Amino acid sequence: MSTSFYLQLLIAGISVGSVYALVALAIVIPFKASGVLNFGQGELATVGAYAALVMIEAGLPYPLVAILVIGVGGLAGMAIERLLIRPIAGAPAFTLVIATFAIGLAIKSAISIHWGDTPHSISGPFGDDPLTLGTLRINPTSLWIVFCTVLVTLLLTGFFRYVRAGKAMRAVALNAEAASLMGIRINGVYRWAWAISAAIGALAGLLVAPVVGVNPEIGQLILRGLVAAVIGGFTSIIGAVVGGISVGLLETFAGVWVGGAMKNLTPFLVLLVLLAFRPQGLFGSREVYRV
Amino acid sequence: MTPRLELDCVSVRFGGVNAVQGLSLSVAPGEIRGLIGPNGAGKTTVINAITGAVRTSDGAVRLDGRDITRLPAHEISKLGVGRTFQHVEAFGEMSVLDNVLVGVGRATKGWILQYAFGTPHARHCERHLRRLAHETLEAFGLLDIRNARAADLPFGLLKKMDLARSIAAAPSLLLMDEPTSGMSEAEADSAIAAARILASSRGTTLLVVEHNMRVMMALAQRITVMQFGAVIAQGTPQEIQGNAIVIDAYLGTDDHEEGHDVVH
Amino acid sequence: MFDTALRPVHILYGTGALLVLLAGTTLGSYPSYLISLALINVIAAVGLNLLVGNSGQISLCHSSFMAIGAYGSSMLTAMFGLPFWLSIPCAALGAAAVGALLGMPARRLSGIYLALATLAFLQIVQIAIEESADFTGGVRGLDVPKAFFWPSVPVGPRSLFFVVAGACALSIWSAANLLKSKLGREINAARLSPHAAQALGVSVARVKLTAFALSAAYAGLAGGLLSLVVGFVEPNEFGISAALRQLTFIVVGGMGSLAGSVLGALALSGLPELLRSAKEYSDLASALILLASLLFMPRGLVTLWQHLTVRTVHPVARPNRSPAK
Repeated sequence: MSTSFYLQLLIAGISVGSVYALVALAIVIPFKASGVLNFGQGELATVGAYAALVMIEAGLPYPLVAILVIGVGGLAGMAIERLLIRPIAGAPAFTLVIATFAIGLAIKSAISIHWGDTPHSISGPFGDDPLTLGTLRINPTSLWIVFCTVLVTLLLTGFFRYVRAGKAMRAVALNAEAASLMGIRINGVYRWAWAISAAIGALAGLLVAPVVGVNPEIGQLILRGLVAAVIGGFTSIIGAVVGGISVGLLETFAGVWVGGAMKNLTPFLVLLVLLAFRPQGLFGSREVYRV
Repeated sequence: MTPRLELDCVSVRFGGVNAVQGLSLSVAPGEIRGLIGPNGAGKTTVINAITGAVRTSDGAVRLDGRDITRLPAHEISKLGVGRTFQHVEAFGEMSVLDNVLVGVGRATKGWILQYAFGTPHARHCERHLRRLAHETLEAFGLLDIRNARAADLPFGLLKKMDLARSIAAAPSLLLMDEPTSGMSEAEADSAIAAARILASSRGTTLLVVEHNMRVMMALAQRITVMQFGAVIAQGTPQEIQGNAIVIDAYLGTDDHEEGHDVVH
Repeated sequence: MFDTALRPVHILYGTGALLVLLAGTTLGSYPSYLISLALINVIAAVGLNLLVGNSGQISLCHSSFMAIGAYGSSMLTAMFGLPFWLSIPCAALGAAAVGALLGMPARRLSGIYLALATLAFLQIVQIAIEESADFTGGVRGLDVPKAFFWPSVPVGPRSLFFVVAGACALSIWSAANLLKSKLGREINAARLSPHAAQALGVSVARVKLTAFALSAAYAGLAGGLLSLVVGFVEPNEFGISAALRQLTFIVVGGMGSLAGSVLGALALSGLPELLRSAKEYSDLASALILLASLLFMPRGLVTLWQHLTVRTVHPVARPNRSPAK
């Protein structure tokens, strides 16, 4: 096995890991802000992919589609937060878990009902022909995915550090009561957290669609995203990104070394082991145990 | 004579805070010991350390000479250590009777399948538990409300229930965390009287944390005074009342409990 | 001296049971089939309620234990020629053992971490089933050998109905006994106030583990029976949709309440079957019902019922109490 083979694997791993990182980010942001883990996050990616499908079939150019998809995601996030999450915001963990699950399932089945089983596809912004760099053959979409993820990470970091709304979100994440006493409107922060998270989720769907096709199963992304979030400890942007890339690399290399079945099994085995022995992941703190 | 309870240089650290530091005390079997001190002295932490609810960072806790420092909480309880809670911690959705039944549960053993299929053994054990529970409820005058939901009860009655619950399994050592807070004077008197009777008839050792000095002076045989996680004085109620260090600890920390005279 | 249930309620339950038996034996094979499925859902719901409602542990992998029961009993019959009354209990025990294994790390986790762990387990079981096609038929599923009492004595459809009804009655009865017993009190106490429970001698860790294993046993039983009634098992039957559906039963019925779970399972079982031809509609309906219930009736149907009857005998767990912190 040549170095170029491993390099290609590496790129593939990082690329798929980037999508997972985006999903992980989308999960962590509202979790930190409002304490709600959105188990329906994967379906927001599905929404993004199908929204893109509709727009591309309508003839819109890719850059516009990208912007609109992010917008659609953001609006969906706000709607979900306002209509479905806020009414049950004080509910115990169990209620929130299955509520978000149900939201996801509702979205997924609605999409399935409308579009049915027929496979759809959209092509990446730079076409699907692989680029040749020396001995490497790289799918341009992979590079595009990594680029977008890096961009999102930088934008988010800047947002939380320098933009007022972002700093408000961090304050609420640390201590909601104190933040509201200081004049920060908690509801506004929640709305933004969900909007941003859904937008990122939709973007993830748009990015991954050229690779896996447009189908209702895109939502399965959430499972890897959750593993990534746990690895990252649910605490930080860096954690989510590192987590995502780790899962991507783990999965890609496991697929080559151990075979097809293990490729699917590995992330969940890792998750179980992590939860059993180190639920705070790599970056989190040890608050998890009870009794 | 082996002390019923012995704390040997016990320290409890939370993060960077020393809630309890190098605390030693020893309670004789059948003794009624009071534990007092200003707020934040670490009294509840001491109780938590004894019962195993909190991990000690240093030192040893001994029950009848046996080291129980590293035992899990439910094991310590089964060795005959009971406790009441400052904020009751009732099983709110369950009835008063069920709360007390959980307390007596220690008295019987059974297997899952016996419970699932209602075998004669299971039914026999259940009758035994209910008999014990009834006796306790009667002693505390709670029989009338035994089917009431705990969460519906006023605080004073809940405290009584908590006391009943913790005494029902006849512990040899009972730790009481502010047992009369929230009770009226009459309620406090009757609850303490009931506890004292049960204690003296069964030889239970009591360690009582209290802010109500009237109750404490009347009840305790000896008193240990804490401040900032350590013992600052120990003696009979009379000795403590006149102790300058104790007076200073209470007055000096600006700690005045409403309605309670700190020094009488 | 004993707090026994109201006589009128017993009569009601008895009447209900008779009606079910009557319907199942006189209405024809398809209604009988539907009722059998509903009764199997009741068994599963009873187990899940014990874990989620009474013990307060979130579990998204209940259907995985059903899968173990279903595939386990089918394989025991196919490979060793065991009759159903051996293969199903064995498979249920197997499910309980796996439940105990998962329950050990699970009991130390709370809230979303527990949800995640059970979700991971669900996926692992799904993938394991799909990838071991030699044993399980993989994605395409497995035909289940016809049930028999003894090698040349097959179980006819009517007998099968009685078997299912009997198992359901046994499950409800055993769960009721458990909940009234010392173990049942300890399970609830450990959820309501772990500190107080520990101080009273209850090993919260052991009790949570017991609840996990017990709920897995009920699920395994349900799964084994399901494989017989349907005659066919496939991994799709035991995935996240199924897990969510079961949670819907107990949430709509009233978490923590045995009667609620039975009610919820019976009331909502019809829907997935009627919509069986279109899985997406069934999923959508489940999801919407669940959301509506959480938003508008968080205490479940059983509390409506309690407003009608005069006295609550067995305290009901309210979903607004944190089941896991």
